[in-house]
Amino acid sequence: MKIKSMFLVVSLLGLAASSAAHEGECPFCKLKLVQNTKDQDNEVVLKFGNKRIEYRCVYCVVKDQARYKTDLVVYAPSEKVGEPVVLKRTDGKWTAPAGSVFLNTFTKHANCAELSRAFSTKDAFTDYAKKHGAESAKPLNLDEFVAMVNKPAN
Amino acid sequence: MPFAIAFALITLTQSSQLPVMPPNMPSWLNNSTADTLFYKPASYNWDINRMPAFAKDMYATGVGHAMAYEAMVTGGAPELETKTFNIIDWVLKHQPTKPVDEGAISPTFMRKYGSLEKVFDWAHLLHFQVIDVFMHPGWTDSQKEAEVDRLWKNYSSQPYAISGLPMNMEFLDGFSYSGKFRKENPKVNGLFWGYHWLQTVNHDMLYRVPVQDQVAQYALIGNRYRETELYRIDRDFMPMTAEMSPRFAKRFPQIAASFDNLHMLHDNVNDILAQSNLSESQKQDQVKIAIYRVLDSTHKDEDPGDAVPKSLHDHRHPFGIPGMGMMKGSDEDSMFMAGMGWMDMSKCSHCSISLPDSGPWGATVSAEGWTMSVRCLMCARDMSAETPGRAIIRASTEDPNRLLVLISDEEGNWTSNIKEVVFLENYGDHPECNDWSRAFTSRAAFDKYTKANPEFKDVKPLNLTDWGKLNHGKPVTYRKIDKPNPYGMKMEGHGGGK
Repeated sequence: MKIKSMFLVVSLLGLAASSAAHEGECPFCKLKLVQNTKDQDNEVVLKFGNKRIEYRCVYCVVKDQARYKTDLVVYAPSEKVGEPVVLKRTDGKWTAPAGSVFLNTFTKHANCAELSRAFSTKDAFTDYAKKHGAESAKPLNLDEFVAMVNKPAN
Repeated sequence: MPFAIAFALITLTQSSQLPVMPPNMPSWLNNSTADTLFYKPASYNWDINRMPAFAKDMYATGVGHAMAYEAMVTGGAPELETKTFNIIDWVLKHQPTKPVDEGAISPTFMRKYGSLEKVFDWAHLLHFQVIDVFMHPGWTDSQKEAEVDRLWKNYSSQPYAISGLPMNMEFLDGFSYSGKFRKENPKVNGLFWGYHWLQTVNHDMLYRVPVQDQVAQYALIGNRYRETELYRIDRDFMPMTAEMSPRFAKRFPQIAASFDNLHMLHDNVNDILAQSNLSESQKQDQVKIAIYRVLDSTHKDEDPGDAVPKSLHDHRHPFGIPGMGMMKGSDEDSMFMAGMGWMDMSKCSHCSISLPDSGPWGATVSAEGWTMSVRCLMCARDMSAETPGRAIIRASTEDPNRLLVLISDEEGNWTSNIKEVVFLENYGDHPECNDWSRAFTSRAAFDKYTKANPEFKDVKPLNLTDWGKLNHGKPVTYRKIDKPNPYGMKMEGHGGGK
């Protein structure tokens, strides 16, 4: 089972890597997808049945989740190239690997890919936040992140 | 003709002022007496009723237009976005089961703008009869196409006929009054452009599609229309026929262009009626001038491709789309499309390789309100897989008389109109993708193809389920045209839809 999951992750990452030249748009915010680089993954891949849909950031995925009626798997780029944080929505409930934390501090969607991200550890979060001018950001667990995204606008 | 060009140039250089009345206006434009033309007698008339949900949606479009026009000529303009919108919306949810005489809904408008109604009615009849032909059971595709050609000839023989030449949409939408209606009444304008979406998207749903395979598509298209397209207020421009039904527009470019010109006339009339600073007489004059611009008689002896650029007589069209005039910012190679951005319509929307000039034409993908042409089945499947929501693929097979219609659910599981369909997919370079990614109506047809093409002799046929699970992602050959939206910046993060 574990081997099968690993194969899926590798397959999806291979898919993302082969699409480096593609310049699609996020289905939610309509801004350009940010391509992976050799130092950092950026493409968020949502798997839903036979669909594999790319989003600009994890915020956009969660904000757009209502259109998908059954279970979801989301490959959210992390601090490590080729090792996404795998989120799952099963029977409507989101789960993420233990220890994963989220950054969500953007104010304009132009910055969402940079400032709405997943990390496998809190240390990785702190390191990234420092490099991207988000030192004051609080690391969010999955429930806090989803609640923040779904919070009604004032 | 020399005067016509001079008139065009005058209106172009005086775009901040009202267009002037040309002296060669057809006399019937000043004739307010009734002159009702009716359907060309035929056995297929009213076959639209074979699909009641579609027929009712189509009948309701006329009601909404008539209600809005009547409100605008009887002092109801300030309530268009509230009272009138609500009434029209109610009708759209409780559609008439038969066509409604618009004169019964908009008597004041008819008295004031009788000549306009003649133009509208005549074009709407063409709309409906083309649909009737495609929905007529028992005829071959060739018979239907020949009849649609005859319908166009019949239509063009009357003075009220709108030109089938591509016209420059930026010019036609560039007068001092242009854009006012959509700016002040975005919800009602959204309904009108939603009607135009339905009126243009249906042709590819029907064209060369067996009658028994048409209904399943409308389950998806009708939902999209009623739940999303009617209520969109984020469109940059009205839907164009060649955007929504590229296969139909390629085969019947004159009809496609005439529908677009008709819809632009609707927009012009909306904008003119919305001008509070114009007298009644000025509005009537401007409506007549707007009619004159799109009449077939105004463009006599002109041809597609003729060009006095960005004028009334600009009949250029983007490469590969003879049935659509130039759009704002477009050139021969590219145009800006709602929901898709800048596109080169002569190339595959998925892999950016040029569409083949001959042979099987590949496929189209319809999803999220748009329809795009692609080179092969794999491009069609993978493009729909990267798009949220249900999708329709219409694809060629080895049999030119059998169109494959695939419909997906939300998760990308496909159903087919051809039960025995099998697929060839021997992944290779995209420039040859239409050779190694194909659909066949039977295993025997697949075997015949692979026998004739030995490079595929060891390739196993795929059934629909197995084929639907494949996904090769986005091709490295894909190139998005990176230019700004010519209609201005869009709101950030709107997410589309309603």
